[in-house]
Amino acid sequence: MSNTYIPIQMKVERIEIEDPDKALRTFDLVFVNEEDKKNFEYMPGQFCEWSLLGLGESPFGIASSPTETDFLRFTVSRTGSVTNEIHYLREGDTIGIRGPMGNWYPVEKFKGGNVVIIGGGFAFTTLRSLIVYMLEHRKDYGDITVIYGARAPELFIYKDEISEWQKRDDIDIQLTIDNPAEGWDGRTGFVPTVTKEIAPSTENTWVVVCGPPIMIKFTLPVLSELKFADDRIYTSLERRMKCGIGKCGRCNIGSKYICIDGPVFSLAELKKIPEAF
Amino acid sequence: MIRIEKERIDEFIRALMETWSVYAPARDGKNTLFAPVEDPAGIDHGIFNTDKSPKEIFFPHSEVLFEFEGGEIKKVERDARPIAVWGLRGCDARSLRLLDKVFGSAWQKPDNDMFEDPYWKEKYDDSIIFGTACNEPRSTCFCNWFGAGPHDGAGMDVKVVDTGEAFILDPVSEKGKKYIGSLKGWAEATKKDVTKMKAAAKEADKAMGEVFGMDGIQEKMADLFLKPVWNDIGAKCVNCGACAFICSTCHCFDVQDEGKKGKKGKRIRIWDTCMFPIFTMEASGHNPRDMSKDRLRQRFMHKFSYFINNYDEHLCTGCGRCVIVCPVNLDIREVVREVMACEA
Repeated sequence: MSNTYIPIQMKVERIEIEDPDKALRTFDLVFVNEEDKKNFEYMPGQFCEWSLLGLGESPFGIASSPTETDFLRFTVSRTGSVTNEIHYLREGDTIGIRGPMGNWYPVEKFKGGNVVIIGGGFAFTTLRSLIVYMLEHRKDYGDITVIYGARAPELFIYKDEISEWQKRDDIDIQLTIDNPAEGWDGRTGFVPTVTKEIAPSTENTWVVVCGPPIMIKFTLPVLSELKFADDRIYTSLERRMKCGIGKCGRCNIGSKYICIDGPVFSLAELKKIPEAF
Repeated sequence: MIRIEKERIDEFIRALMETWSVYAPARDGKNTLFAPVEDPAGIDHGIFNTDKSPKEIFFPHSEVLFEFEGGEIKKVERDARPIAVWGLRGCDARSLRLLDKVFGSAWQKPDNDMFEDPYWKEKYDDSIIFGTACNEPRSTCFCNWFGAGPHDGAGMDVKVVDTGEAFILDPVSEKGKKYIGSLKGWAEATKKDVTKMKAAAKEADKAMGEVFGMDGIQEKMADLFLKPVWNDIGAKCVNCGACAFICSTCHCFDVQDEGKKGKKGKRIRIWDTCMFPIFTMEASGHNPRDMSKDRLRQRFMHKFSYFINNYDEHLCTGCGRCVIVCPVNLDIREVVREVMACEA
C-alpha cells in the first residue's frame, strides 16, 4: 500500500527572485531519487504539497510543464510561516513534496480549439505550465491569446520568458498594468476591462481564468457578457488544505473537494455550488 | 450462534486477547470510553454508549504519521496485532463503516491506492467488531432515523445480545462467522435464548422515539444554503466544537509538525473541526467561512447533504452524543426538523 502522507525528496536547483520586494521567489526542484522522478507524472494545473519537516506543509501549483522533464518549477509568495521558511531556502537544500495532486486544465478537450488565457498577479504559475505545454504541442491548438495583468510592470512573473513569447507569432500576449507607469507602453487597466476591450471571439474558443479572487469575480461576468458559455470557461480555485487527498475535510466547496475534484472547475460546475463564490 | 454464560465471559475475552489487541468499554474517572483491555475482569459490561466515541480506536485524537530526524523519515511501528472491539453499539459500528468509506477506500478515485489512508487501513481492515445490541435505548438515541435500530447488526462482525444470564454471539459478517465457527467449548444458543433475544429486540424498538422522515434532505439543505434559516439555527451556537470532537463520524483533521526544523520531530495528525474559524483561515487572512453560521451550516451540510452526494449515506448514525454534550442545547434532531420544515 502506498503512503501518500510521506513526502518525496527534492533538491532546490535554482532560485530566482521575481519582484523588487523579494516577496516572490521561483524554485526549480530536481528529484533526488530516480524512482520518484519516474513515478511523477503530472499535467498543467495540478499542484503539490511542499513538505518542510518541522515546519509543515503548503500547497502550490506546479509552474513547470510536463514537457519540461528535468525539473519542477514553483513560484512562492512569502505570506505565512511555511512560505517564510521557503524563502530562506538556498540552492542545494533538500525539501519534501507530495503530489502531484488534483485535476488539471482539460488540454485534451481544448485540442482543435482556440484558447484564451487570462491571468493576474503571481497566480500565473499553472497558467505558465499550460502555455508552455500548448506551445510544445502547438499544432494541436488554434489561436492562443494570453491576457495577463499585474499591478505594476515589475510585478509580472517570468518576465524573460514572456518577452520571448512576445517575439513569437503563434501566441498573442496582451499585458496590462493597473495604472500608467514610466517606461510602460503596453496596456493599462484592470484585467476585466482589458478583456472587454480585447473581446476575444467565442468561436470554438475555451477560456482559462486564474488570478486573485477579486479578478476572477469581475472577469467572469465580462466573459458571460462576451457570450462565452459557462462550460467553456475554466478557473482554478484555492482553499486552505492539509491532506491533499480528500480526507481531512477542510478544502471543500459544497460536496466538492478542491484537492481532488479541483482545483480546476468550469464555471458551469461552480454555478451549482453556492459556496464557491 | 453461541451462548456464553456471564460468569464465563472473562474466559472468552482472555482467549480473544491471545491473538487480538482487545478494546472494550471502561471507566476513566467520571467518563466512559473504549480502552485497551489488560484484564477482562476490568471490563464494565454495563456501560451503555460510551461518553467518548470509539472512533479513536482507529482514528486516534492525535496520531503520529511519521518521525523525522534531520531529513530522514522514519515510519512509526504500531502494535502489529489486529484489533478486536468488544461492546461496540450499533450506531458506532455503523459510524466506523462510514469512516471506512472516507479513509479506507479510494471511493472517489477507484483503483488508486494513493487515495487510501494507510493509517486507518492497517487498523480497521484486520479488525473484528463484537457489537452489543441495545436493550435499553436512551432518550437521545435516534438510530432509527437512519434505517437502523437498537438490535441492528450492520457494521458488526458479531452481534452480541445480553439475555440477562448469558451473552448470545450472533455472527453477522463472513469474518464473524469464521471466527465463531473456529471456537470450541461453547454451547449453541438455545431456543429459549432466541425467544429472549426476539423479545429484547421488540422491547428495545418500542423504547425508541418516533422516526422522522429525512427523504430529500440533501437537496433541501442545498436549496436553503443562502437562506436565513441558518442564522436562526446558528444564533445560539458558540462554535465550541464539542459536538464534532464527541461525534462518532466527524473526521476532519489537522496536520502539524512537532519538533524543530532539521532536528528530531514528528508529523502528527490531530482531530480538528469546521466549527473553528482557523479551520479555513488562509495565510492571507481571507476566511471563506468567516461567520459562525457559515461554519455551523458546513457541519450540518457535510452530514446531511455533501456526504450523501459523495457516499450515498448520511454522515450521522443517531448516537446522540452531540445532543448530550452541547453546552447550548443545540439538538441535531431539532436542526433537521427545522430544516425540513423550512420553505426553500
